[in-house]
Amino acid sequence: MFGRIRNKSKSGRNNSEEIVQTGSYGPIPPSADAVKASLNEIFSNCCDFILREIACGKNGAIRILVAYIDGFVSKNELNQDVVRPILDFLANEESPGGSSIYNRLTDCIVVNNDIHEAADMHQAVDGIISGEAVLFIDGETRALVVGVKAPQGRQVQEPDTETSIRGAREGFVENLLTNTALIRKRIKNPNLKLEMMQLGERTKTSVCICYIKGLANEEIVREVRERLKKIKTDAILDSGIIEQYISDHRLSLFPTVGSSEKCDKLAGKLLEGRVAIFCDGSPHVLTVPYLFVESIQATDDYFDHAFFATFMRLLRVIALTTSTLLPAMYVALVVYHHTVIPFKLLLTLAASQQGIPFSPFVEAMLMIVAFELLREAGVRMPKPIGQALSIVGAIVLGEASVAAGIASNLMVIVVAITAVCSFIVPPLLRASMLLRFVFLIAANFLGILGIAFVAVAVFVHLCKMRSFGVPYMAPFAPLTLNDLKDAFIVVPIWAMITRPKILRQQENVRGAKGSRRQEVNMQQ
Amino acid sequence: MTAGRRKRAKGIVLLAFLLACLPLLSGCWNYKELTDINVVVGVGLDKTEDGKVLLTVQVAEPGSIQSTSGHGSGGEGPTKPVFVVSNEGETIFEAIREMLATVDKKLFFSTAQVLILSERLARESLEESLDFFQRDHEIDYLMNVLVAKDVSPAEILEIESDMDTIPAVYISETVENTSYRGTGKKTMLIDVIKDMDCKGKQPVIGQITKAGENMVRTEGLAVFKNGKLVGWLDPYETRGFQFATNEITNAIVNIPVEEGKMAMEVFRARGEIDVAFEDEEPARLIVRVKLEANVGGHEGKGKLDTPDKLLALEKVLEETIKEEIEKVLKKTQEEYSSDIFGFGMQVHKYHPQYWKKSQDEWDQIFSRLPADIQVDAKIRRTGIIINPVIKEH
Repeated sequence: MFGRIRNKSKSGRNNSEEIVQTGSYGPIPPSADAVKASLNEIFSNCCDFILREIACGKNGAIRILVAYIDGFVSKNELNQDVVRPILDFLANEESPGGSSIYNRLTDCIVVNNDIHEAADMHQAVDGIISGEAVLFIDGETRALVVGVKAPQGRQVQEPDTETSIRGAREGFVENLLTNTALIRKRIKNPNLKLEMMQLGERTKTSVCICYIKGLANEEIVREVRERLKKIKTDAILDSGIIEQYISDHRLSLFPTVGSSEKCDKLAGKLLEGRVAIFCDGSPHVLTVPYLFVESIQATDDYFDHAFFATFMRLLRVIALTTSTLLPAMYVALVVYHHTVIPFKLLLTLAASQQGIPFSPFVEAMLMIVAFELLREAGVRMPKPIGQALSIVGAIVLGEASVAAGIASNLMVIVVAITAVCSFIVPPLLRASMLLRFVFLIAANFLGILGIAFVAVAVFVHLCKMRSFGVPYMAPFAPLTLNDLKDAFIVVPIWAMITRPKILRQQENVRGAKGSRRQEVNMQQ
Repeated sequence: MTAGRRKRAKGIVLLAFLLACLPLLSGCWNYKELTDINVVVGVGLDKTEDGKVLLTVQVAEPGSIQSTSGHGSGGEGPTKPVFVVSNEGETIFEAIREMLATVDKKLFFSTAQVLILSERLARESLEESLDFFQRDHEIDYLMNVLVAKDVSPAEILEIESDMDTIPAVYISETVENTSYRGTGKKTMLIDVIKDMDCKGKQPVIGQITKAGENMVRTEGLAVFKNGKLVGWLDPYETRGFQFATNEITNAIVNIPVEEGKMAMEVFRARGEIDVAFEDEEPARLIVRVKLEANVGGHEGKGKLDTPDKLLALEKVLEETIKEEIEKVLKKTQEEYSSDIFGFGMQVHKYHPQYWKKSQDEWDQIFSRLPADIQVDAKIRRTGIIINPVIKEH
């Protein structure tokens, strides 16, 4: 995919004279023929570009051009809302006066609600390429842009990447407007602001900043706006690209921009005072600021009893630690720190090590790399094959390698637990995957001491990080007691009165305060 | 590319090179794989007649203990779960190192469960011998120390136990049992080291004897005085001693009743020792024991259905235990003149002035003092029946 982009830009450089520069089309010529010629030039070699000429009125005195991209536009709607009324109402029209016809079209002929004016050729072309139909009237220097976009892409469905037991099944889709509507549906409030902008010089991707005015910190909103504007690239194919451009620590393994496919999750984040970034063509919506603690939070936590939620949180913390540290700890104990292993366990360990030709480190490396290969293969493969692969993986890795004396039983268990744990905290999956190797190497050379060194380095790094001005490790560092209610433990939702303080929202108390004040006002 | 940038790139290349060297240069700082060590489970320490140290180690073979290990690659593993090696040396450390001439892998001592001392060594040089075990970082201070009576440590370590695949584990488990019963005492290395240094208390070490071809018995105690073995306590003396020192968790005490015996299960006992002073001089040794017991078995005649009868039984139980304590106290006072109870520590604690001037003669003072033993027994329950089920005529 990226090869193709590179080729595109390369060819663009070679034949720069052929590439039409957007923004330099000039005004719309009054003559329909000139418009036709100019459009045909702009959209040369675009077989999906359709330019239809309607001649109506007496003796075909009125000429109207309808320009759109095939497949983008709902033809039914276009015919019913635009073409048919024109033919009906203008059938007996005599005067070819462009302006009056334009006004009549906008005022009482075109049925569609979503119409606006294109003052020059540039805007008209923008309208066409973004999937709207554009009407050019002979003798008029304005064009009429009619939004008759056909619904695009897949239906709203449950996201595969973030499944939950409790909570909405709706996930975002590729279409930006569907996505914003999904959010609007959940937060019925005019203060939910959606600021649209276009990014990518060539792709012209619509990007939308979404926040709740009066809640979100204005400074963060401004910062998001500025960072988005600074992006200089010709293609935005996914929100992942935006994420990489706007993140605070571009080289860090840890994410400082969150992404989600779930509507309810995003609504929750917005209501905490975060800012969301929608990107057309991507079902992943970004949220900033993103803190470390968010990676162990799940939507289910808030919909379920607080005790279970707390238990799950703690499990996730354990899983995260285990998936990062377990192989390293195992290797460190087995090659350095025999004295701390209980006697009977030591015998078991020693027995399982017997006859293994590799050192525990090499053994761990082999098994972990093998697991990562399987995992990656499972992601890339078509789903039906993936199942077969997992069977092969389980048998080959688990059974055969032990039987063949390449890996010890315990190492298989260690890697299996590590693998299971690594899937429990998805946002940190990749970070913990790479750190696992770093810890493993450190453990092999320095034992627990090495693990401690790396752990200190990682913590220093984490505590140093910021996401849009908010300390990444909050509420732990700096310690924000008020926000600990939603960190390792989860208090019941009715006790979660304040929003995360560290985000410095404009209004910190959830609901109660504002609505009560309104009630009082109404009584007065 | 600017000069600065080139310099930086050079630095990165150099750093990468050095990091790449790291795995190759790391020597063997403590790096030991589990397959490169011999797991020592038992250590025996003996002294030969010409004064040399005779060290015996029992080493476990993990492969033959665990049937689950990956034997797929290698052929037959060793069939015996342990092997025993002995070696003589001028010093213990030397004996250990010299042993490497005959065994394949480095000996790993942290896993040792028992340290068995021979009687000869205990009588001659306990303190000197234990120095190595205090100094070496690999030694687990929690391992059991035992003195072999009438048998050499090597003979004990060479038994092939039927109960546990590892004889040393079998031994340490019997120690747990007897110390639960009160007839033995679990003396860990750390206890021995602590008592060795303490003037107000003499060390005792558990006793081990051979009980048949493949069995051992770990009852009784070895009594030390100033770092040298002076004598033994039998199981019941041991129990009396432990009643006084508050180390009984559960004991079966038989008391005489009408036409037979009754077994009382002591399940809660608190022992306390003290030294009574009169005119700034120690006057009496005081032992106070409070205990609770259940009737465990009634192998005699007589009903138990009134409180009076139980009260009478309490008196008998008190007498029995008092006698037990008296016997052991007398023995340590008169025969061994060794304050294993720690009366001296009480003096040190509550009469430091007196202790300061007379600590060196404490053994003689201890031997002279009369004893006052108070036992307070309560019988709580009689089991699920009250009277024995016997046809009364």
